[in-house]
Amino acid sequence: MVDVAFQSGSAVSVAEQVDRAKVLQKLRLGDAAFRHLTRAAAVTVLVILSGIIFSLVYGAWPALQKFGFNFLIEESWNPVTEHFGAIAPIYGTIVTSLIAMLIAVPVGLFIALFLTELCPLWLRRPVGIAIELLAGIPSIIYGIWGLFVFAPFLQQHVQPFLIAAFGNVPVLSTLFEGPPYGIGILTAGLILAIMVLPFITSISRDVFEAVPPVLKEAAYGLGCTTWEVARYVVLPFTRVGVIGGVMLALGRALGETMAVTFVIGNAHRISGSILAPGTTISATIANEFTEAVGDLYTSSLIALGLILFVITFIVLAFARLMLMRLNARLGT
Amino acid sequence: MSTANFTVPTVTHAASNAGDLVEKVTVQNLDFYYGDHRALKDINVSLYHGKVTAFIGPSGCGKSTLLRVLNRMYDLYPHQRATGHVRLDNDDILAPSQDLNLLRAKVGMVFQKPTPFPMTIYENIAFGIRLYEKLPKSELDDRVKHALARAALWDEVKDKLGASGLSLSGGQQQRLCIARTVAVRPEVILFDEPCSALDPISTAKIEELIDELKEDYTIAIVTHNMQQAARVSDFTAFMYLGEMVEYGDTTRMFTTPTDRRTQDYITGRFG
Repeated sequence: MVDVAFQSGSAVSVAEQVDRAKVLQKLRLGDAAFRHLTRAAAVTVLVILSGIIFSLVYGAWPALQKFGFNFLIEESWNPVTEHFGAIAPIYGTIVTSLIAMLIAVPVGLFIALFLTELCPLWLRRPVGIAIELLAGIPSIIYGIWGLFVFAPFLQQHVQPFLIAAFGNVPVLSTLFEGPPYGIGILTAGLILAIMVLPFITSISRDVFEAVPPVLKEAAYGLGCTTWEVARYVVLPFTRVGVIGGVMLALGRALGETMAVTFVIGNAHRISGSILAPGTTISATIANEFTEAVGDLYTSSLIALGLILFVITFIVLAFARLMLMRLNARLGT
Repeated sequence: MSTANFTVPTVTHAASNAGDLVEKVTVQNLDFYYGDHRALKDINVSLYHGKVTAFIGPSGCGKSTLLRVLNRMYDLYPHQRATGHVRLDNDDILAPSQDLNLLRAKVGMVFQKPTPFPMTIYENIAFGIRLYEKLPKSELDDRVKHALARAALWDEVKDKLGASGLSLSGGQQQRLCIARTVAVRPEVILFDEPCSALDPISTAKIEELIDELKEDYTIAIVTHNMQQAARVSDFTAFMYLGEMVEYGDTTRMFTTPTDRRTQDYITGRFG
């Protein structure tokens, strides 16, 4: 082996070797440039992220200093007396996102399962494209549709029914209490559900399609039905991807601004009823930034932004933790 | 090349009592199509209870396709269809009325690559059993243990039944898949190149296992390894370009093949 290599090496002329060295030198330069370029790109992300965190904390500082921890737990939001508390928008953000996920996760997963496991081929593309189009609709359109079409529809047909149906059920009667405004927490949650549905569907469809066919065949080979294959093989196999998609959707739901601002009612209060108007962090910021006169008001809005940032961070961290525990349990 | 070189199964089985051969699966005039492509051409073959039948032939000759007809796995995919007759005992399994879940419970399959499910070792086995029977925990434990023992895996995994099936080595995973197949009590087991992803030691273990399993089951194995076919099978079928070229007793097939193509293939002249 060694001899052969040596002989063939000595057969190359000196001139050729010099040429080769030059070419290699050039390649090495290119390699180094590429390495630095990619590293710079990666570092840019870190610089931007820390810049955002810094400016958020810096901007929020006056408000945090003035109100301290009370900023997180007080409901009053009074620009006249300059007294600000963030709990109402925090509550609205979390509850609307929760409603959205409660609806969109199961529906999205079912659509994805239908598309990958059951759907006839000719229908697969049209439905897939429709879902991608749904993702491409700008949020302002959802907002305007929500305000002029969806909210009146809910007000006239759905909400009276909910109030009547759950009026005598202990916990639910509080949840569906009060007059049917049309706009409110529930409406915002429903709009959000429609908006994040395409994310969950298209990501889970992609990961479901990545399940090795032979694994599914093995399950079918035992005599599993399609549902059993989906439940016990496809979903566990793709849990990381599915949870990733759900978290991406949750991130979008938490931060969604325009559509929510249209339909949530923008009321700084916490109500037991999900039919009542409320507000979210992003809706508050969008609504009030132009009219925020005075440093404390502006600073309070930036502090809201910081809180949203922290909530999103906690959600992502929680998702990671959940995945780690899942993987530890399954030993993979 | 001529097409009419099909030899009638020469059941001159000297080693065991030839009179006892029970036909378990009978394939008659089977054609198979991938869309317009005719992948199997007029296949006739029988699988016998308690015997191992090996299918050999170059890649793309239709061996795996034939295996996938026997448990109707092809039904999962559109544009694939089979015509002709395949009888399991006396049922025509190609009949549209055939219950696929029941068929696949009777005809188990082990694949080329190990395919443990994303769950624990215990669950990998218990999962299949639960599809058909509702057993109390203790009985289920027994069944799982028995299946793992049958696949010669029990001693290696008895202390880590709660670990993921994916944490096992390739050879162990393949035996886990065999245990899983055995656990649902099939009558026929199809092996689709079960050792092609395994090292020689694991391969030897699987072959030993097939030899032990055959007394209770009807076994069909697709293999690219001629020595393996010679070692594990009682009957061998040589397929070429979708045709059944020659079929018969393994010893005879490897010593005195009647067809020129069989001879060329087993001596390594092509394939």
